[in-house]
Amino acid sequence: MSDKKNNVILEEYENEFSYKKSKTNLNIEFNRIAFIFFVFLVISIIYSIQLLHLGSLKPEKNIKPVITKKNYRADIVDRNGNYLVKTVSSIDVGINPIEVIDKKKLLINLQLIFPNKNYTNISKKIKKNKFFYLEKKISADNYEKIMLLGDKSIKSEEKLTRIYPQKNLFSHIIGQIDDDNQGISGIEKSFDERLKKINEPLQLTVDTDIQFLIREQLVKFQSTFRSKGSAAILMNVNNGEIISMVSYPDFDLNKRDTISDLNFVNRATKGVYELGSVFKTFTVAAGLDEGLIETDTEFLNLEKRLKCGKNTINEYDKKIPSDLTVEQILIRSGNIGSVRIGQKLGIDKLKSFLEKIGILKKIDFDIDEVGDPISFRWGKCKLATISFGHGITTTPLQLAKGYAIITNGGFEIEPSLIKKHLENNQKQKRIIKEGVSKKINLILRKIVTTKEGTAEFANIEGYEVGGKTGTAEKTIVGGYTNKAKINTFVSVFPTSKPTYVMVVLLDEPKTSPDYIYKYKNKEGYYKGTPFNTAGWTSVEVAGKIIERIGPILATKYMEN
Amino acid sequence: MKKMAFITIFILILVTSLVKNSTKEMEDKIFVLNENIRSLKLELGDIILEFNYLSSPDKLTQYQYQFFEKNLTKIDITRIKKITEKNNLIKISDLIKKSNGE
Repeated sequence: MSDKKNNVILEEYENEFSYKKSKTNLNIEFNRIAFIFFVFLVISIIYSIQLLHLGSLKPEKNIKPVITKKNYRADIVDRNGNYLVKTVSSIDVGINPIEVIDKKKLLINLQLIFPNKNYTNISKKIKKNKFFYLEKKISADNYEKIMLLGDKSIKSEEKLTRIYPQKNLFSHIIGQIDDDNQGISGIEKSFDERLKKINEPLQLTVDTDIQFLIREQLVKFQSTFRSKGSAAILMNVNNGEIISMVSYPDFDLNKRDTISDLNFVNRATKGVYELGSVFKTFTVAAGLDEGLIETDTEFLNLEKRLKCGKNTINEYDKKIPSDLTVEQILIRSGNIGSVRIGQKLGIDKLKSFLEKIGILKKIDFDIDEVGDPISFRWGKCKLATISFGHGITTTPLQLAKGYAIITNGGFEIEPSLIKKHLENNQKQKRIIKEGVSKKINLILRKIVTTKEGTAEFANIEGYEVGGKTGTAEKTIVGGYTNKAKINTFVSVFPTSKPTYVMVVLLDEPKTSPDYIYKYKNKEGYYKGTPFNTAGWTSVEVAGKIIERIGPILATKYMEN
Repeated sequence: MKKMAFITIFILILVTSLVKNSTKEMEDKIFVLNENIRSLKLELGDIILEFNYLSSPDKLTQYQYQFFEKNLTKIDITRIKKITEKNNLIKISDLIKKSNGE
């Protein structure tokens, strides 16, 4: 009984199983279509999203393509976009004699393209079975013609050449490259990686027209004063942008000469000099900044001669009064008066001030050719000599920076040759007390406008030129020589709202028959004494430069 | 339901291929334009270089000596005037304002 019952159950189970199997089959069929549909739907959605995403993308503006092309080098332009250096591609065409099939035919064809070539020589070269260049820097027309010959033996090679359209004008700034496309001096060296990688011209702060006018005057006065060399820097006092930087003698970059003569040194940045009285302005500015003196502070009973150790400090101007105010000391360029201000300041305060304005240490600049001021030990005598600009060295570039800071309201600036396109780059950190610049600028103006001042030649109408002269004897072994001088004039203009600082330096200028001080002697006859001090040389050069560049600066860079 | 699914898939495939095709055409056009711009840029660069050389201060001074009998004279800044226009009124003023005592 129990067996029978079991059988029935088994049959019932079989039927049920059979029904369920049929039901499951239907489900699988339907799910398969739904699944395929679902997969396609998902793929379509993903694809549509991707398309929409790509469609909504905006081209990125700031992506600078990286060029991996061999021998690539970016162009260099001035502040107005004029080319200072341009890389142009040129094609050299040569012949590989081994691949020549029909020599006669080739020579006839070449004669049609280059009728002026010596084909006896070319024929000899082909016979030697060695590759030779047929034409270097071939013109586009001739290249097309020669390639149309379809001769396998004709080989072309693309080369890149650096062209300097301004020739000598920016030689010390731009510098040179070697045959392996490596920068070896100037901007070419310091920005070597940037020039090789970024496909965008490097824009400098310099102005070609201003640079030309300044160089023109330096060249002219080089023959007048027969100096060894000269340099000039024109800088914006508010942002440190160098508008012009000339060092003469210079060289034509297109000639790619090897320069070994030391006279071709960049005097504006690499030359380290004792610059003399131009430092007196720093001594006075330090005193004003510390609040130890005012422009009308009097110094009484000033000696004409001062002994310090083995050295004697004299006044250059023998007629200088014994009682002078701070303003008069600077206007008349008094040595002893400056020493007294320096002594009032003390070593620490004067040293700290000079450090603050970047005079004592090597400057961090856009080119590697930068001089390192000679280090020294501070002492009582050193303090005295430094107060009037002796026994201390620096570069003309650092001098320009120092004057920019003390005249721009006391704000720190960094001289730069690279245009940064930052409007808010102006006047960031104040490092000198407010009001010092105003007092200094008034005195600098008086140095140019008053009879007692030493820079009358630079009083060009309309530009409110102010400035300070410096005549320093060059050092020789064991002391100084009065035969070789470094004459400097630092000008600031316009003094009511200082915008530009300009340093003009002449290396060993001689007296000139054109620059003679004429006076009446006791007998009533006119006599003439030629001078080669800064007031007669570098001031004259600066005046002539300002006369020429002034209208451009006033109109082109005028702020409304 | 099945028909709908197939039609949808077919439309999606059709649209996708059309979009892809037009994108490819656009890419080709962009490539051609970029190539043209590249060669034009090179040509422009060479022309600007030539212009910069021919109009460089050095060259202009040479031309001046070559073609003009008279020498160039410097400009007196105090004689330069500034023209400004405001409300249809033209005002002429000095470029450099003279400060007191100058």
